[in-house]
Amino acid sequence: MSENILIELKGLTKRYGYGDTESFALKDFDLTIKRGEFIMIMGPSGCGKTTLLNIIGLLDRATKGEYVLNGEDVAGISARRQAKLRAKKIGFVFQNFNLIEDLPIIENVALPLVYAGYSKTIRLKNASTALKRFHLEEREYYFPYQLSGGQQQRVAIARAIVSDPEIILADEPTGNLDSRASHIVMEELKAIHEEGNTIIMVTHNPSLTSYATRVINMLDGQIDTDIKTVADANLPQPISVKIKKKKQQQEGFISIDTDEDKKTKKRKKSRRRQ
Amino acid sequence: MALLLKNHLKLAKAAIKENRTRSFLTCLGIAIGVASISLILSLTGSISQLIHDEIGEIGSDLLVVRPSSTKDSVTSLVEELTSANSFQKSNLTVSDVKAISEVEHITAVAPIAVSTNTVSSEKNTFSSVTVLGTNLDFIKIEPLSLHYGAFLTESNHENSVVLGHTLSLALFNTINSTVGKTITIMGEKFMVVGVLDEVEKSISFDNVDFDNALIVDIDSLDKITGSTQIQQINIKAENTDSLSQISSNIERTLTEHKQGDQNFSVAYGEDITHPASSLFVVISGMLTTVAAISLVVGGIGVMNIMLVSVAERTHEIGVRKAVGASSRNILMQFLFEALILSILGGFFGLVLGYTLAFLLSIITPFSPYVSLEIIAISFLTTLAIGIIFGIYPAIKAASRNPIDSLKHYR
Repeated sequence: MSENILIELKGLTKRYGYGDTESFALKDFDLTIKRGEFIMIMGPSGCGKTTLLNIIGLLDRATKGEYVLNGEDVAGISARRQAKLRAKKIGFVFQNFNLIEDLPIIENVALPLVYAGYSKTIRLKNASTALKRFHLEEREYYFPYQLSGGQQQRVAIARAIVSDPEIILADEPTGNLDSRASHIVMEELKAIHEEGNTIIMVTHNPSLTSYATRVINMLDGQIDTDIKTVADANLPQPISVKIKKKKQQQEGFISIDTDEDKKTKKRKKSRRRQ
Repeated sequence: MALLLKNHLKLAKAAIKENRTRSFLTCLGIAIGVASISLILSLTGSISQLIHDEIGEIGSDLLVVRPSSTKDSVTSLVEELTSANSFQKSNLTVSDVKAISEVEHITAVAPIAVSTNTVSSEKNTFSSVTVLGTNLDFIKIEPLSLHYGAFLTESNHENSVVLGHTLSLALFNTINSTVGKTITIMGEKFMVVGVLDEVEKSISFDNVDFDNALIVDIDSLDKITGSTQIQQINIKAENTDSLSQISSNIERTLTEHKQGDQNFSVAYGEDITHPASSLFVVISGMLTTVAAISLVVGGIGVMNIMLVSVAERTHEIGVRKAVGASSRNILMQFLFEALILSILGGFFGLVLGYTLAFLLSIITPFSPYVSLEIIAISFLTTLAIGIIFGIYPAIKAASRNPIDSLKHYR
């Protein structure tokens, strides 16, 4: 099952400051994440949740430690390569949406595809497909300020999945939303997860843990408790997501469909039909 | 990469459109600089054109000897700028003229020694009149014709003077009956022997406006001024075939004559059109400097606006980086914006410069000189300005930390 391991963190340490001001956001942090997991990370403020997410998302670098993403050691790679991986393999969802105010939402959604190197036609087509999924197809040329918070967050999620990433990182995606909008957003994330995507989400809200397959409690830069809420065998297996991924296939990032995988897929499809 | 470039271009266009007034004012700064540079280049070009046409009139069998070096325009420009008055520095002498006249295959040699003096007739007195000292060969080389009287001759060259058309009118209020009258140059009396035809060209390769000048024998000029400085020696060759041979002969003879001193140059053909006048070079050099300064000021304007733009869009930079933009992508995005601003300014400047040149051509004898060279120079200058002043804000934008930028709000 080693090919099913998506992320492997070993001895990850992140230090801020030197000497007297030295503090550790992460200390000898070990974590293995399998494809298809929906992980919730909880813990008090300052326990290193966001730092962990930023390091996994290649926005930040650990002071020391190993980080293997999809079989590739990415701890020491160049900033340029990091950016490339961010564009192709990682989708971010933020608490404050982080949409670009000056761009219509379709272009906001298409943004990762710009840096992944797709042509304009493909960008707009894929962005449009992603927006349709969140029932925002009629708002393609609205600007972010013309949408409600819940809609903006759905745009942000559409942006996170548009390049069909290996992993989706969500930093308190419901933190700025009311309970109704929160619920819609969580249902969307659940649906994305059920298609086989891996999601890591940081949250303060314990009631959301029911969506997760694994809940990690962090304390002072280390794992306090790590509870798997669903048995491994029941994890949804990865299937290819609808969004066009021709380029990525050439690069061989797509998972190999074993016979077993196909069976589960079939099983799942029939389950959905019922 | 090409896709990204197109994207950068689109983004830059959008950003410039978004801040219309700001962009326009920034462009204006560049436009003024480019306008003055293209105006100056156009006028310089037109003057060179005038001189070039004149050479065509005289014939291509002309050689000139000038003091110092005209080979390297930059060095000579610096020399001209650093010497207070290069008239005083000329090292050509009357004996040089004699030496040159012994070179084979030349038909005429005439020195040009220009000074300004106070000249008076019985009616009027004028200060700073151009007095040109030369010899009898002068009229064989120059395409000047006499309106009245005769040029200096073997028998009457001492204390005789030939007046320019306009000067004659000014001194005596007449052209026709001037011959035989006397004028006073620095206390010495001269007799008018002829009046030139109207030339109607204020610029010539001799750097003399013949309409407003008077011509005397160089020995007479030497007597009244004490020391004569020869700015140029004009030489007419027998034919046009062996100009380079004659040129090197003159150079050798003159070097020998001056005991190795090589502070002179021999030019013929197109090279003569190189503006010889120190004053002309100094003025156009100064104007170019002023224009360059205004261009730099415009560039600083671009930099300033780009820094504001980077600060305003810090959050956007954070978002772009988070979704996969590399530092290089961000750098290019902002560099493109600066480049488009300055190139747009350059384009407006070129249009403005030529409009001014055309307006100027209505009231002056210049005709605006349009060449691909000037357009290319303007374009490259603005490109350079855009890169030089756009790179720092772009680097600043690119080096932003994505995590900190995301926390940044307008």
